[in-house]
Amino acid sequence: MLQCIFLLSDSGEVMLEKQLTGHRVDRSICAWFWEQSISQPDSFKVLPVIASPTHYLFQIVREGITFLACTQVEMPPLMGIEFLCRVADVLSDYLGGLNEDVIKDNFVIVYELLDEMIDNGFPLTTEPNILRDMIAPPNIVSKMLSVVTGNTSNVSDTLPGATSSCVPWRTTQLKHANNDVYVNLVEEMDTIINRHAPCDGVLVKCEIFGVVEVNSHLSGIPDLTLSFANPSILNDVQFHPCVRFRPWESEQILSFVPPDGLFKLMSYRVKKLKNTPIYVKPQMSSESGTCRLSVMVGIRNDPGKAVDSLAVQFQLPHGVSSANLTANHGTVDILADKTCSWSIGRIPKDKTPQMSGTLVLEEGMEQLNVKPTFQVDFKIMGVALSGLKINKLDLKNLPTPAHKGFRAQTEAGQYEVRS
Amino acid sequence: MFTQLSTTADNFSKASSMVFRIGTDAHLYDDPDDVSISPLLDSKFDSEKCEALKRLLALIAQGLDVSNYFPQVVKNVASQSLEVKKLVYLYLLHYAERQRDLGDQNPLVRAWALRTMAGIRLHVISPLVLVAVRKCARDPSVYVRKCAANALPKLHDLRLEENAAAIIEIIEILLNDNSPGVVGAAAAAFAFVCPNDLPVIGRNYKRLCEILPDVEEWGQIILIGILLRYVIARHGLAKESIMASLLPNIFSNEKTGSESDTGYLEIKKTYEIGLQEPELVAMVSRSYLAGPDKHLLHLNNSDVISSDYISSRFTSSKTDDNVKILLQCTLPLLWSRNSAVVLAAAGVHWIMAPMEEISKIVKPLLFLLRSSDASKYVVLCNIQVFAKVMPSLFAANIEDFFISSSDAYQVKALKLEILSSIATDASISVIFQEFQDYVRDPDRRFAADTVAAIGVCAKRNPQVANTCVEGLLALISPKSINSTSGSMDDEAVVLIQALTSIKDIITQDPLSHENAIIYLIRNLDAIKVPVARAMIVWIVGEYNSIGNIIPKMVSIILRFLARGFPSESIETKYQILNAAVKVLLNSKEEDFDTAKSILNYVFELAKFDFNYDVRDRARVLRKLLSCYFSSSGLEEKPDNNEIWLLLAEHIFGEKVKPSTEMVNNRFYLPGSLSQIVFHAAPGYEPLPEPCSLTESDMVKGLEEPAQAEANDSDVDSGSLNEEGSYYSEDSVTTSTRTDSESAASESDNNNTDSLINLSDVGKPQEETNDLGELMSKGDLESWLDDNDNPGPSQNVAERVPSARISIGDIKESAVSPPLVSVDTFFENCSSDSMSKIFLTNEDSESLDQGSSLESQKDVPVFAPMEEISILEPGQTIKRVIHVHFHHHLLPLKLILWCNDKKHPVKLRPDIGFFLKPLMMDLDAFSQKESQLPGMFEYTRRCSFTDHLAELGSDGKDGDVSPTKDSFLIICQCLASRMLSNANLHLVSVNMPVDANLNDASGLCLRFSGEILSNSIPCLVSVTLDGKCFEPLNASVKINCEETVFGLNLLNRIVNFLAEPQLTT
Repeated sequence: MLQCIFLLSDSGEVMLEKQLTGHRVDRSICAWFWEQSISQPDSFKVLPVIASPTHYLFQIVREGITFLACTQVEMPPLMGIEFLCRVADVLSDYLGGLNEDVIKDNFVIVYELLDEMIDNGFPLTTEPNILRDMIAPPNIVSKMLSVVTGNTSNVSDTLPGATSSCVPWRTTQLKHANNDVYVNLVEEMDTIINRHAPCDGVLVKCEIFGVVEVNSHLSGIPDLTLSFANPSILNDVQFHPCVRFRPWESEQILSFVPPDGLFKLMSYRVKKLKNTPIYVKPQMSSESGTCRLSVMVGIRNDPGKAVDSLAVQFQLPHGVSSANLTANHGTVDILADKTCSWSIGRIPKDKTPQMSGTLVLEEGMEQLNVKPTFQVDFKIMGVALSGLKINKLDLKNLPTPAHKGFRAQTEAGQYEVRS
Repeated sequence: MFTQLSTTADNFSKASSMVFRIGTDAHLYDDPDDVSISPLLDSKFDSEKCEALKRLLALIAQGLDVSNYFPQVVKNVASQSLEVKKLVYLYLLHYAERQRDLGDQNPLVRAWALRTMAGIRLHVISPLVLVAVRKCARDPSVYVRKCAANALPKLHDLRLEENAAAIIEIIEILLNDNSPGVVGAAAAAFAFVCPNDLPVIGRNYKRLCEILPDVEEWGQIILIGILLRYVIARHGLAKESIMASLLPNIFSNEKTGSESDTGYLEIKKTYEIGLQEPELVAMVSRSYLAGPDKHLLHLNNSDVISSDYISSRFTSSKTDDNVKILLQCTLPLLWSRNSAVVLAAAGVHWIMAPMEEISKIVKPLLFLLRSSDASKYVVLCNIQVFAKVMPSLFAANIEDFFISSSDAYQVKALKLEILSSIATDASISVIFQEFQDYVRDPDRRFAADTVAAIGVCAKRNPQVANTCVEGLLALISPKSINSTSGSMDDEAVVLIQALTSIKDIITQDPLSHENAIIYLIRNLDAIKVPVARAMIVWIVGEYNSIGNIIPKMVSIILRFLARGFPSESIETKYQILNAAVKVLLNSKEEDFDTAKSILNYVFELAKFDFNYDVRDRARVLRKLLSCYFSSSGLEEKPDNNEIWLLLAEHIFGEKVKPSTEMVNNRFYLPGSLSQIVFHAAPGYEPLPEPCSLTESDMVKGLEEPAQAEANDSDVDSGSLNEEGSYYSEDSVTTSTRTDSESAASESDNNNTDSLINLSDVGKPQEETNDLGELMSKGDLESWLDDNDNPGPSQNVAERVPSARISIGDIKESAVSPPLVSVDTFFENCSSDSMSKIFLTNEDSESLDQGSSLESQKDVPVFAPMEEISILEPGQTIKRVIHVHFHHHLLPLKLILWCNDKKHPVKLRPDIGFFLKPLMMDLDAFSQKESQLPGMFEYTRRCSFTDHLAELGSDGKDGDVSPTKDSFLIICQCLASRMLSNANLHLVSVNMPVDANLNDASGLCLRFSGEILSNSIPCLVSVTLDGKCFEPLNASVKINCEETVFGLNLLNRIVNFLAEPQLTT
């Protein structure tokens, strides 16, 4: 069982300490951890499970904040890690992002949340919707109230009905003036494209990682069924606890009683796709101490909707002393950590965006033999590139008819082009 | 006037008493609140805190409510001073039970109250917490029950032995709960408190399996593990699973009969499925069972586990329902969004599922790689083991292990290792294409790892070895080396690794890689990295006679190397020396001279080397080969030097065998922390011994808790006050009232005297000596059993005088309220007379800490007793002593003087006599009872058999004698038992109205009393259940505000009701 949770700022300061059991964990473990992670930045900082001399540590890093959990006994490490992830999710949801200041400003809420989320080292309530019923998130109204009246409580004085019902993720007595439910397919495309041939890339791997997000504002206890036109393309799925397993096993239908508000109903994976919406063609040729680089970006298979927020990013390899890159569209930035990012935005109609220029190599280096990998970012609204289609959404057990809405979008996930 | 006078008198008496009380805390007791207590509590001096706390205690002692100081007191618990601590505990103990929040209407408040109470972690209040938990375990709110389950590990953490059984009992109740949420929390408590108490699981196994998919995710993780352990302990391993590699007949199919057939089939299937390296599989499965450390100890004697022993411990995952249900119920969990649940479920399938069905876990596991960076690493660590044992499992999914540039180095390294172990003939080309990209990765450390992985692949699949070597040689071509002069260190790593891989591949089959060796030699000049050069020189020396071309080249190379010897680095010099020796030893006649002169030249150069190690090494080698360099300088090898020669050939001549792959042979259960950190973390337990849980274990475990279960259901109904449905109270009560009262009064007559055990701990056998005599006088009496100190001088009274002591009515008036008068009978059982017998208090200076803290020192603990001047043999003399008991657990230590000798005796009070009867009628009783709900109400069950003897003697012929009602007899027995053991008032007797005269269910007796020290009322109800002529189930319920006292009383009542009546 977890014994203690620490929140560390990006400078290694312990911002928060939550002891969970009677076996106190001394703060000095954080000092040890920070020292180690500074001395071995590449291996230590990213290792999620660390055996320190006194404790086993689980760590995750979110937006510069290190979440550290300690235990001394055997426990499933994924349990610790997954819990920390949930804590990070909930905190960032409550506080509208994570950073040092926002955590320090709202430390009371953080403690209250942690107290509800974990008891004696064992996770208690992690469902965000229920937590919201127990501890109100900070908002303008409550802040104003606290300024005016001097004291307010954000702790609810009644137990959320959900905790005692047979659907623990849903409050029992819900009333909405407008009943509506939105289903949103959010897909991320992961690809690896290799460029061995001079002309076109080889698609090594192309798959979609998608999430069915549902935003439901429905009264009572509605019973929903969602079916897909082509469920057979799904390679694998993961469900929110509200989904019933039987109907999926037999007919591949999602039958569920939804939590209130926004939640991830299901995530899925579609493998072995054949097409990518855009192409990125990097070309490099190096001779006598300089390296010519040009990158072209364009639409390969028109998805039918506009490709938005297009950006290409890559790390300048070791041995490059300076870079001079310009683009005919968009802006090129070279950051301090030798990351070069080219933000294109929307692809213009009249020309093909291209970035070109030279990389100057360090003294004594003739040519570059390492090849950077280009990470591509884009967003396409209104289309699910996996081809997954929602067949229909049935709502049962509703007092009044509800409005249904469907949306889809695709973003680039780990979309990589190797040069 | 008068008041003045009286105050003066008062002052005067105070002043006079002051003299004797100097140095005590008396002044605090007299005027506890003459100063303001709050600032004292906040003081930074321990002495002042102490004073304040003493004042508070004094106020408590005087019956005032000082609970408003609670917060200030609590914070002092952190004090360093032991005395302050102790005082704070005393205060806490007094007020902790005022936790009225537990009875609150709002379940959230109840849950918080419970969590806070459980979080206090003081030993002193653990009984309270236990009651609270027991209460909350039956709370109507799911959330509160869940919190109750979560509180159990906290209680267990206090390591109180006496609570252990009760905690396990509550766990079982909660495991039986209908709400999946509670079951999950209960599972966690089980895993923490009593993970090896598997019979508890066995009783609910099927139900737990079925409820598993509905349990909340965190509970699922734990519950899956528990169920797996149970199945293995109860039903054994599945013979279709990978664990079957432990079955001896799979790998040695020599046995005859059907078994060997199936064994043979299994082995065929094994290879079809694609298990690799049976030894590895066996090692993994053995590690799961025995834990790697233990397993490694036994590694050498392979037949530790005898075959018969093993094969009896297998079941079938296809036919055994228990295994099947577990596999079925964990299957949907593979779709969970919680990565820990997926991995735990996958672990069950990995260990228990038939081998051809394990593939079900592949997709979910691979999906986890997309969840978060941290879990990705952990999942990959587990996949790595799976892939090693069963490469075919992941063979079709190679692209999931392709590296993404955003992966951390550790993740990349793991993916590489997995890729190289799952590579097949079909996929190897694709994998190599990937590897080519990795070699150009900007992270050179990773590039070096890739090169190493290529070597591993080539070794596994010899048919691709040539391609690999070609690729690797391209890496060390002068072109690629020169171009990277900028970052030499990084490149050197790759280069060295490439050469190591090449060397490994060549070692496998040197002949077919002749060209590669030649290529290396040709590039020797271009390679500047010392380690790499040394390695090439080693290859030259090692394979100097292979093929046709190399032997011709060797002398030229050596000459070249010898010329450059002084400018080489040390490790290269070593290798040049070695290579020259090897060449010489291998050389044919025609090259012998050349080789010898080269070596001689090298030796000469080495003699004047800067490095002493090089010099020494050259000298040793020269000595070894002295036959070649003998002073005569002749080519004939002298005989007497043969031994040197043999030695040299032995050292250098032996060909290197292909090194076997280093296997990390530590395996831990999938999903465990130990598997990630590669050592057994504290608390890690391998799978239980298969089939170690036998039928008898299950049954043995069954009996008690089953009873407990039955109790629980009854308790529920009892606390819900459903009595009305069973019997009407009014009519029958009145009709039987007289009887019951007469019975009560009768028993009162017998039993007014109550018993106190005055006994010395050391001499139990003497009690038994007196037993018969004692019992004949009625069960009310107790005996004084004071031993003689068996010193050598004392020969008179070996036979211990035994005295009977009974307590008369508890008289408050006698000396001072808390005193109890005890009628003490002194009987001389020896043959000699005794003189000067009297009892005194133990020396006051040795009073224990506890009583001095009571701040009631002005109340004497023991009023002196009239001395018995002489006691003749057989004579009995009665004396009345007045004592004050502090606590039912604290025996009063007295000194028995007899013949001028001291005998320490202890007066151990029974808790039943800390009560005095409180007269009330039924209405008052039920009103009072309703005021004391929630945690002030506690119930336990026991069996009652007293009446059997009574009924049996009356109705020997099977009928109840018409004159006596069987119910009445039962009531009488029960009442006399109760009243003889506790000082209570019988309020009412309820008789069941039922056609069946034989059914005593619903018989209910109510007693009332108040606690002697603080007059808090204490209500006892005993409800019976069962048949008249069988042992009855008695449910005892106590309502009392003083929780600790009430609980102890309850336990005492249950004990004396349950103990069989001693027949005369």
